[in-house]
Amino acid sequence: MRGLRFLFVGVYLCLGTLPLLWLGITSLKERPDTISVHLKWLPSGAAGAEDDAYFAATLDAYRQLGVVYAGADHAFYHYLKNSALIGLLSTLASVFIGTSAAYGFSRFPIPGAKDWLFFILSTRFLPPLAVVVPVLMMYREFDLQNTHLGLIILYTVFNLSLAVWLMKGFIDEIPRAYEEAALVDGYSRLQAFRLIIIPRAASGMAVTGVFCLISAWNEYGFAMTLNNQDAVTVPVYFAGLQGNVQGIPWPQVCAGVLLFVAPIILFTVLVRRHLLRGVTFGTLKQ
Amino acid sequence: MERAVRGGILLLCLSWASTVWAEEKVTIWWAQWEPAAALQILGNEFEEETGIAVEVKQIPWPSYQDQVFLNFGNNRTDFDIVIGDSQWIGRGATKGLYLELTDWLPSAVDIETIHPRAARYLCEYPPGSGKFFAAPCETDAIGFVYRKDWFENEGERAAFKTRYGRELQPPDTWQEFRDVAEFFHRPEQKRYGMSLLTGRGYDSIVMGFQPFLWAWGGDWGDAETFEVQGHLNSDGAVEGLRFFKDLLQFATEGGENADYYFNLEAFSNGSTAMVLDYFPFYPGIVESMGDQVGFFKVPRNGDRRFISLGGQGFSISKKTPAHQQELAKQFIAWFQQRRVQEKWITYPGCFTANTELLESDAFRAASPYNATFAESLDHLRDFWNVPVYNELLAAAVQHLGEALDGVREPREALDALAEEHEMILMEAGLLEMQ
Amino acid sequence: MRGDWDRGWLRYGFIAPALVLLVAMNIFPLLYSIVLSFTNADLVGSNSSWVGVLNYKFVFKFAKYGQALRTTALFVFLAVACELLLGFGLAYALRDRFALKPLVLTVLLVPMMLPQAVMGLFWKLILNGNYGALNQFLGLLGFSQPQWITDPDLKFLSVLMVDVWMWTPFMMLISLAALQAIPPHIYEAAAIDRASPWRTFRRITLPMCAPLLGLAVLLRATDALKQFDLIMALTGPNDRVTQTLSALLYQTVFRDGKVGLGTAYSYVILVLVIALASVFLRYMGRLQRESDS
Repeated sequence: MRGLRFLFVGVYLCLGTLPLLWLGITSLKERPDTISVHLKWLPSGAAGAEDDAYFAATLDAYRQLGVVYAGADHAFYHYLKNSALIGLLSTLASVFIGTSAAYGFSRFPIPGAKDWLFFILSTRFLPPLAVVVPVLMMYREFDLQNTHLGLIILYTVFNLSLAVWLMKGFIDEIPRAYEEAALVDGYSRLQAFRLIIIPRAASGMAVTGVFCLISAWNEYGFAMTLNNQDAVTVPVYFAGLQGNVQGIPWPQVCAGVLLFVAPIILFTVLVRRHLLRGVTFGTLKQ
Repeated sequence: MERAVRGGILLLCLSWASTVWAEEKVTIWWAQWEPAAALQILGNEFEEETGIAVEVKQIPWPSYQDQVFLNFGNNRTDFDIVIGDSQWIGRGATKGLYLELTDWLPSAVDIETIHPRAARYLCEYPPGSGKFFAAPCETDAIGFVYRKDWFENEGERAAFKTRYGRELQPPDTWQEFRDVAEFFHRPEQKRYGMSLLTGRGYDSIVMGFQPFLWAWGGDWGDAETFEVQGHLNSDGAVEGLRFFKDLLQFATEGGENADYYFNLEAFSNGSTAMVLDYFPFYPGIVESMGDQVGFFKVPRNGDRRFISLGGQGFSISKKTPAHQQELAKQFIAWFQQRRVQEKWITYPGCFTANTELLESDAFRAASPYNATFAESLDHLRDFWNVPVYNELLAAAVQHLGEALDGVREPREALDALAEEHEMILMEAGLLEMQ
Repeated sequence: MRGDWDRGWLRYGFIAPALVLLVAMNIFPLLYSIVLSFTNADLVGSNSSWVGVLNYKFVFKFAKYGQALRTTALFVFLAVACELLLGFGLAYALRDRFALKPLVLTVLLVPMMLPQAVMGLFWKLILNGNYGALNQFLGLLGFSQPQWITDPDLKFLSVLMVDVWMWTPFMMLISLAALQAIPPHIYEAAAIDRASPWRTFRRITLPMCAPLLGLAVLLRATDALKQFDLIMALTGPNDRVTQTLSALLYQTVFRDGKVGLGTAYSYVILVLVIALASVFLRYMGRLQRESDS
């Protein structure tokens, strides 16, 4: 029985990680090896015969990330910068606005608080494509399409439901006694929020930030329809290489993907204790 | 503080000055391929002569249409000139996107020198009306590239002759084409006969089907009344689709869904004997494979040879300031001059619409596929270019796809397609409701 | 001092920014698109006019809209079912502690953190019929080599497979939490009663996991319903077999330029999503009350 269990996990682990391994292998190839009709899976120092399994391993793909590929306007790092700027600023905004709202709901008697909270959560279930058309029309009025700001606002709102719900859970866990003592000492509400609550909620805010960042980082639908010109993010950049006359530069794409997901994987490892909370909107706490 | 204010004022002045003195520039959008790179080179020459800069932005084909029309929705387009695909012209002309050029164009180019088929499909809307919404830029056609070294191999030639009783050479009829494809199709050696255009992404399956549709006597519909029934699902059309589908047994692995880029890769990785593509995709192949390749035009059925038209014309955005539109006209007029056209045709994949130049030796010698291209011109035809072309295209992609995939019989698929096309044309108000 | 805050308007200052943003960017667009759905607005923004319920009529008249709905329903059902079975199976197999468990879990969780649009593109390389790695491996092992993303019988399954690869970890994560939440003494009691392992599983493990699994299913279902990135990358928005709601909506609005028709269609979808979401929200409310009490 135990053997069976390990076999199952082992097989899944192999099959599940093979594509990731292939991503790494492909990033070490030169382009002709990626579209060869013969399986090339063993890296070696020199190129093998056309029909054997060896390919010449090289780090060229990583070096070429700084070069503008035909059919694109800029090199990979330019798009990475866009992704980072949009991702980080929208995350900051979501976390702060979300924390403040969560504090409001957690500490004050607000009429219909439950309904408000569920309204906030419900916005998460809107199919992005149902909202994107009117948003596009609005953005055209204000010339917000193809700007960093446009996507930052959109992602901020998109992540608010998550931020409010997660932060409410974290703030609920902070005993009221702390602020009450501070209020007795003559702190104003805002001071108490800033000096007592925020430092104690900091780790929760960091966790919330990671989840907001992941969804902004990986988002494609809005980015593709609203930002296809100037503030293009990495997923849109890669998808846009399809149909390139020189062919998709697979080694560079794979190298770029690895660099692009590395921070996400790192953050995931850092917040692994809170993963469950993050993916269930704070409903489940570990 | 005072210093900061003064610095600020200085900066403001500088930035104001830089906007006033900013160099004049024409921005052109085109798909990403060799001709666009060549247009940039010519644009740089234009800048040297006139001081007006030209920037050609290249966008990969699959997202080109989406990006252009999204941009047209903005209050102002990022481009002054769009080199729009032939089918777009109806949408551009009727939705207030393309500037009408009817009065201006004759002053820039002698209309008589434009190849009549290029003028009809690339520049006019409605076709043949004499109302111009684009100036000629790139005239294009599909054609085959083949492995010349395989065709010239002595062993292969002998084997072909014993099997089929004639010489192995680039096929002229679809029946000969079938034999050659069959001959080279050796999946066990990872070698395949051919790859046609059957992709479902944008329009490749339609461009690949058209030569069969027309060569077997069918058509998309009546250009005047917009009736589709009886044209698109005629016996000839069904027969053509059957022949098309039958050929796919000799296709490269994955050739049931082959678009322009798939074919380039299937050919350049050495697995396929003959592939179909638009000519401007070939410069890369010529560069990397040199003598190994040759070209032939789309085969005929009986005396009927029809070839899918491609190509794009210069259209000026209505959503760019009047001054920019004037600059755009200056560039287009400059480009149409004979001395510039003579230079244009020497770049790989660059095809003019000027009839005389197409017949010149200079053009035929410039690239190995140019002669084949020139011979293809008289056989060109195009898909619908009405404003709802994209819905017609999408429906065709789906129904033809089902026929090739064997989900439906060719006749059933074409009946269903004809019905859906008539519905779309009715909804658009082109075909009278019954 | 505290009383002012509890009763006064200032307390709304904390929640106002969030609500204002949500109304401006979610509620207002939804109202605006009601208006659009009754017009013949075009993506390229030329003048539009009122067409009444014509767009809604077309949504029900053209077969493709109903077809996309069926495709989506099938996709959501199969994706969620496969992911639940695999994910729960993995969690069940991994429920005991062992030395490498944290590492194994982390590696297993990686796919769900990756960008779907980019992974879709990468899978297209793996599944390519001419030079894809999957077929080359199958060839080495002597299996046949199907056309994963072009064969009409297979492409739907291929998209499903990539979705399962990406989201099984999600099901595993929640299933693990559910399994760990079962107090050990219940199992001990079952052992004393000499209940068979199967009986223990059916009578204890499954019922006690059910509420959390239900939550996981609902979360995944709402996400799978929105699936767009993978389809866009693997088969494109105009593929009859894999054309889901989102893909068809993209095709209608951004390719055909029919904003009016597209918004009408998105409203029909919205009704369905609201139905699903309300089930979900009620469920979450109940779960929260239970965990609070």
